[in-house]
Amino acid sequence: MINTLLLQAPAETTRYLVAGYTVIFGIMFLYIISLIVRTRNLKRQLELLKELDLE
Amino acid sequence: MESKPRMLVILDVITSLLFLTAVGMVFFYAPLEAVMGQVQRVFYFHVANAWVGMLGFMVAAISGIAYLRKGDRKWDIVGLSAIEISFVFFFTAIVSGSIWARGSWGTWWTWDPRLTTAAICELVYAAYFLLRQGIEDPDRRARFGAVYAILSFISVPLTFISIRIFRTIHPVIIGAGGSGAEGSFDMSPRMLHTFIFSLITFSIIFADLLWHRIRLGKLAEEAENLRLKTLQ
Repeated sequence: MINTLLLQAPAETTRYLVAGYTVIFGIMFLYIISLIVRTRNLKRQLELLKELDLE
Repeated sequence: MESKPRMLVILDVITSLLFLTAVGMVFFYAPLEAVMGQVQRVFYFHVANAWVGMLGFMVAAISGIAYLRKGDRKWDIVGLSAIEISFVFFFTAIVSGSIWARGSWGTWWTWDPRLTTAAICELVYAAYFLLRQGIEDPDRRARFGAVYAILSFISVPLTFISIRIFRTIHPVIIGAGGSGAEGSFDMSPRMLHTFIFSLITFSIIFADLLWHRIRLGKLAEEAENLRLKTLQ
């Protein structure tokens, strides 16, 4: 019994590893992109508002 | 808005290098776990994501206290920024944990005390954004945000200790494990190095993102003030 357990290979779980890190990297990437996009949009909005304020 | 501070640029570079090193350690330095196999490698970033979640919720609660004491709106921006980042990272921790559970426990989800308290915690902070959006007056919104951040923080230690006070199948990595835990494992020195390095790296990622998000918050406040001024 002990010999059988010792000889047993680890479970084949590579696809869950791939899925897990796809989610982790994917969400991080999307969040960073959202920060960049929101900053760019706000800068544009501010420029527009400043122009309106000067008029 | 002023250009990106030099310190922030340096922090961005350091953060990127640390992140790449942590990824390298997870895939090439940490050994393969004998029972669970490759899926165990999810554990390093799963815990680090959960850690960032809890860290940010704590920062938001402290910012809430600072706002209520001083009335300075910058604390509202800090609180909102910390909650937004933590909400994203905690969500990632829940989803990656679910994937790990499928590979390790054979199920995507179970109403275990840790999973349940984590889901409740995430929902409590989801409500923060919904309720905030319904308040027009910036000062009232900030006051509400501060009180909510302080009160909702109760769910964080509850989530952390749930695996220590209830019978659970979620493994306890730090400290003594629960008797019914499944998927627990003894960390070898290399696993421990990778685990600690990931926690430090993610703490620095949090600091870096928080700085960026605070800058975005200040920009949003500037735009809101100018919009109100233009309307008057």
